[in-house]
Amino acid sequence: MSALKTTLTGYAGYRGREGHWSFLLHRITGLGTGLFLTIHILDIAFVYLAPNLFMDAIKLYQSTLFGIGEIGLVFCVFFHGVNGLRIAYIDMFKPAAWTITKQRNWTRTTLIIALILWLPATFVMVRNLLIHNFGLFGG
Amino acid sequence: MHYKLKIFRFHPEQDARPHYQHFELDADPTERVLDVLEQIRGEQDGTLAFRRSCAHGVCGSDAMRINGRNYLACKVLLRDLNAAEITIEPILGLRVVKDLIVDMEPFFDHYKSVLPYLINDDPLPADGRERLQSPEDRERFDDTTKCILCAACTTSCPSFWANGEYVGPAAIVNAHRFIYDSRDQGAEKRLEILNEQMGVWRCRTAFNCTEACPREIKITQAIAEVKRAIHTGKLE
Repeated sequence: MSALKTTLTGYAGYRGREGHWSFLLHRITGLGTGLFLTIHILDIAFVYLAPNLFMDAIKLYQSTLFGIGEIGLVFCVFFHGVNGLRIAYIDMFKPAAWTITKQRNWTRTTLIIALILWLPATFVMVRNLLIHNFGLFGG
Repeated sequence: MHYKLKIFRFHPEQDARPHYQHFELDADPTERVLDVLEQIRGEQDGTLAFRRSCAHGVCGSDAMRINGRNYLACKVLLRDLNAAEITIEPILGLRVVKDLIVDMEPFFDHYKSVLPYLINDDPLPADGRERLQSPEDRERFDDTTKCILCAACTTSCPSFWANGEYVGPAAIVNAHRFIYDSRDQGAEKRLEILNEQMGVWRCRTAFNCTEACPREIKITQAIAEVKRAIHTGKLE
């Protein structure tokens, strides 16, 4: 079995606990954030290289699909950031906290913190989307 | 109770690719998965290949993926799986030799690479017998002495799945066992090995290793301690 096939089989098929799912979510949110940063660097480059394309990119970002994508992006940033801090803190300063019970609790807490940070941002973003893209709330 | 088993089969001389074979049998929920495998081999299909030796969680021969998770077949009871349908597959990341048997050589090569033996060139004590240490010093590495090299941890590790060159949790655990032994003098050499590209920094703290360890070794903690020793240059 190739390494890629083994990895994907493991990612999707291994029945790990919180740590496994947290690892996968960390990967996915990292890829999501990385993808956004790549696109963002490209569109900012358009300001100098092709101003017309930059305006097209801005128009595209204002579309409903991108609006929904941005809501996902904010979750990616919050989860990846909070989870990264958790891992760095325990790994560097509190190795003794890597016990099964504590790790499961910390992982769940991390997700809850990320959701708490994400929900207000989501509220504002969904509201803006409804106002500007669907003409609701007097938009 | 009636159980349905789906077992990974692969005979390299007969099969172009692996497949799953289904078996059904009656067993007591307090029986172990190993008992059921023995029953199948004895009564239904004598060609089923799997490793076993002590059958009491000491030799580490029968690590396998049971319902998607690494276990020792001799340590998990059917009732612990909470399912009447059980899927049994070989551990991931090592080449399948036949059915549930994998090639453990790469795993043992990683183990050997961390110098898993006492290094001490000082002359023996005056009485010519053992090198003594305090109970506190012995306690420091007690947890990592429990490893039975079953590979349940290493083959549950996403970093190992992605790159078989990664030394893996088991090798790090066994390095930890000697790094923190007050009688040993090879810590610097081992930390150098583990500081390389395929060493401890490949650990992504997915924690599957600690969850899978049949000896309940705090593997992620041991890896973090080794990382810290490399980072600070101190053995705490």
